[in-house]
Amino acid sequence: MNNSRAKNLWLLIIPALLFLAAAVCAQGYITKVEDSGFEKHTRPAVSFAHDAHNEAAGIESCNTCHHMYEDGKLQDQASIGMECSSCHLDGYSGRLELIRVYHLQCKSCHLDQKAGPVQCAQCHRKEE
Amino acid sequence: MHEIYQLASGILVWVALIVFVGGTAGRLIRMAITARKKDAVIYQYFSFYYALRSILHWIIPFGSMSMRARPAMTLVAFIFHICLIITPIFLAAHVILIAESWGIGWAYLPNAVADIMTILVILGCLFFLLRRIVQRDVRYLSTPGDFVLLLVVAAPFVTGIWTYHQWSGFEIAGIVHMLSGELMLICLPFTRLFHMALFPFTRGYAGSEAGGVRRARDW
Amino acid sequence: MKTSEDFQAAAEEKRIYDAGIEEGAKKLTPEKIRSVFNELMQTEGGARLEAYTKACVHCGLCSDACHHYLSNDRDPRFSPAGKVKQTIIEIVSRKGKVDADFMKRACEIAFTECNLCRRCMIYCPFGIDVAYLMLFVRRACHQLGVVPQYIQDTAHSHAATYNQMWVRDDEWIDTLQWQEDEARDEIPDLRIPIEKEGADIFYSVIGPEPKFRAQLIYQMAVIMHAAGVDWTMPASQGWDNSDMCMYTGDSEMTARLKKIHFEAALRLKTKRIVMGECGHAFRSVYDVGNRLLGWKMPPLQMIHAISFYSEIIEQGRLKIAEKFDRPVTFHDPCNIVRGRGLHETARYVINQVCTTFIELEPNREHNYCCGAGGGVINCGPPFKNKRVQSNRVKADQLAAAKKKGAEVVIAPCHNCHGGLEDIIRHYELGLELKFLGDILYECIQKE
Repeated sequence: MNNSRAKNLWLLIIPALLFLAAAVCAQGYITKVEDSGFEKHTRPAVSFAHDAHNEAAGIESCNTCHHMYEDGKLQDQASIGMECSSCHLDGYSGRLELIRVYHLQCKSCHLDQKAGPVQCAQCHRKEE
Repeated sequence: MHEIYQLASGILVWVALIVFVGGTAGRLIRMAITARKKDAVIYQYFSFYYALRSILHWIIPFGSMSMRARPAMTLVAFIFHICLIITPIFLAAHVILIAESWGIGWAYLPNAVADIMTILVILGCLFFLLRRIVQRDVRYLSTPGDFVLLLVVAAPFVTGIWTYHQWSGFEIAGIVHMLSGELMLICLPFTRLFHMALFPFTRGYAGSEAGGVRRARDW
Repeated sequence: MKTSEDFQAAAEEKRIYDAGIEEGAKKLTPEKIRSVFNELMQTEGGARLEAYTKACVHCGLCSDACHHYLSNDRDPRFSPAGKVKQTIIEIVSRKGKVDADFMKRACEIAFTECNLCRRCMIYCPFGIDVAYLMLFVRRACHQLGVVPQYIQDTAHSHAATYNQMWVRDDEWIDTLQWQEDEARDEIPDLRIPIEKEGADIFYSVIGPEPKFRAQLIYQMAVIMHAAGVDWTMPASQGWDNSDMCMYTGDSEMTARLKKIHFEAALRLKTKRIVMGECGHAFRSVYDVGNRLLGWKMPPLQMIHAISFYSEIIEQGRLKIAEKFDRPVTFHDPCNIVRGRGLHETARYVINQVCTTFIELEPNREHNYCCGAGGGVINCGPPFKNKRVQSNRVKADQLAAAKKKGAEVVIAPCHNCHGGLEDIIRHYELGLELKFLGDILYECIQKE
């Protein structure tokens, strides 16, 4: 379930949303996208419901996102447990590069799939 | 939404940039050629030293008598123009988007600073709008196009701060923000916004004649 | 607060009749206006016209620079950009499709509501040359044959006689000899050398000097004599350095006038030209005529009387017998201050010759125009009242100097003289008006 659809639901049936939110929070399914590579945040961290997202997006293979490259070749194994910054922070401009790859990871897929948030404010929601 | 976003953040950015750069360069080149034919004096009298001398006096706040005579206008005009140019170039979100697309990046402003600068641009637009309505000579000089241009300039800043703060309807505001920013760039070479590109030339030539021929100050 | 419609109505009530404008406009047809204007745009409407009309953002910062605007209760139509809006912008945007009535109004604005003093140019952040735009309108008026009668008459005089005042060749020589004769009563060995080949200095004056200010030639002869200058004046055409054609938009005639002036100086193999105390003539020779003739700078050195005075004082050739002891103030003429930066030179001379000097506020490049220059005074009696009323701010400026003690106003320019004379009389300021030469003549050691 993507965010904009969640918003529509929220607008339509508030009790349902409250129930859903309570449910996922209780189960710890919503997490923040955190990375120790960011000393401080330019924008609020992105909320990300891992399982719900993958179910809605039909992602089965971990290394679709948690990719692993060796000599420029995508490996079969996944990089679960590693932070993006452990590979991507040694790029040309540090933090900007890390931001760039995070955005490429999420946004370019959303654009390809024509699903999911793409504008700045759609992901980097202010704390309610 | 995805289609519009893709259009506004993709091809339309290119259209806007090409029209802005190409239109500005094209118009300036055309004027330079016309000047060769009909205003030969410009090439004869143009002096980099005196042009620069004059430009400097006019881009330093209160550097000219005219600016000192109208301190409020001078202050607003300087703050407005500085924020108008600096904010979009050094806004974090813009720098990041450019880094994503072109792999180049530069330093960006803290969000709070950009926020204040955006508000200053919007207040500047309001000041100029008010001035066009209230001050008699400016009202007389104003054309409908002048009001439209104020709107064109204000629009990307109003929608920008709107989507940044995630006020209601921010998704629409985000799209309008991109489109209106592109519209402003496209308008630049073909409307009075072109004064931006003409400034160094008109001021520089005025300074050249004043300094090189007339031996007088023009500020 | 009056609306612009009220001003429109007020302007129509007191519309001034000028035969040159009215009769000229009768011969206009929309087709003629369009074809003349389009041709002018094709040949002369270049990058400057485009930049000046397109760079203007209608900010109104030029308004306060204009004495017409300040003097007419801040009527926006007198703002420099307002005058541009009513004339050239309108013609350009309508591609010349304007009628005879429009041209009449445009003519009156361009000829009588702008002195081409360029004060607004140094108040405009873009340095837009409104004088250039107004001259463009005047050029169109000239080509359409709609020009105020009096100034057109002087242009005709230029065309027929090469001088501004219908002075005949023999009258010119007679005047010089008459002034020499008079001066020899005072200084027996004084000469006004006519046609002296190889003299150091070629001295030229404006047409009105021999016509009705002949004593200025007398005074200059005395100054030249006292300083021991090797000088001459020509016996034939080319003696008049003035140029009303520059202001009627008749560039072809301007070029001819400047050519004959330069040629007279070159024919006599003089080293340089010194011009009398006139502003517009200086502009025409130094800044306009040379361009029309294809010279970046005048083909031989050419200086204004102020520079000349300063030079002979500095060199110790001119001795001051007794300083002028009445408090003086100084009016900076546009064409030699904004036009040639002679403000400090003038102050040097004044401080050498006068005991008390009081500044006008504003001064130097920022001085207000006299209201007469740019050919406005030459549009003659029909516009005189309007011209004087349209420079109330000058009267206020002079009155403030008088309050500080000034008794004498020095204006080293003929047009300024004419304008200030009318202002001083109309506003009953009780100030005396002098050329710098008047004071020098009074104060120097003559033998």
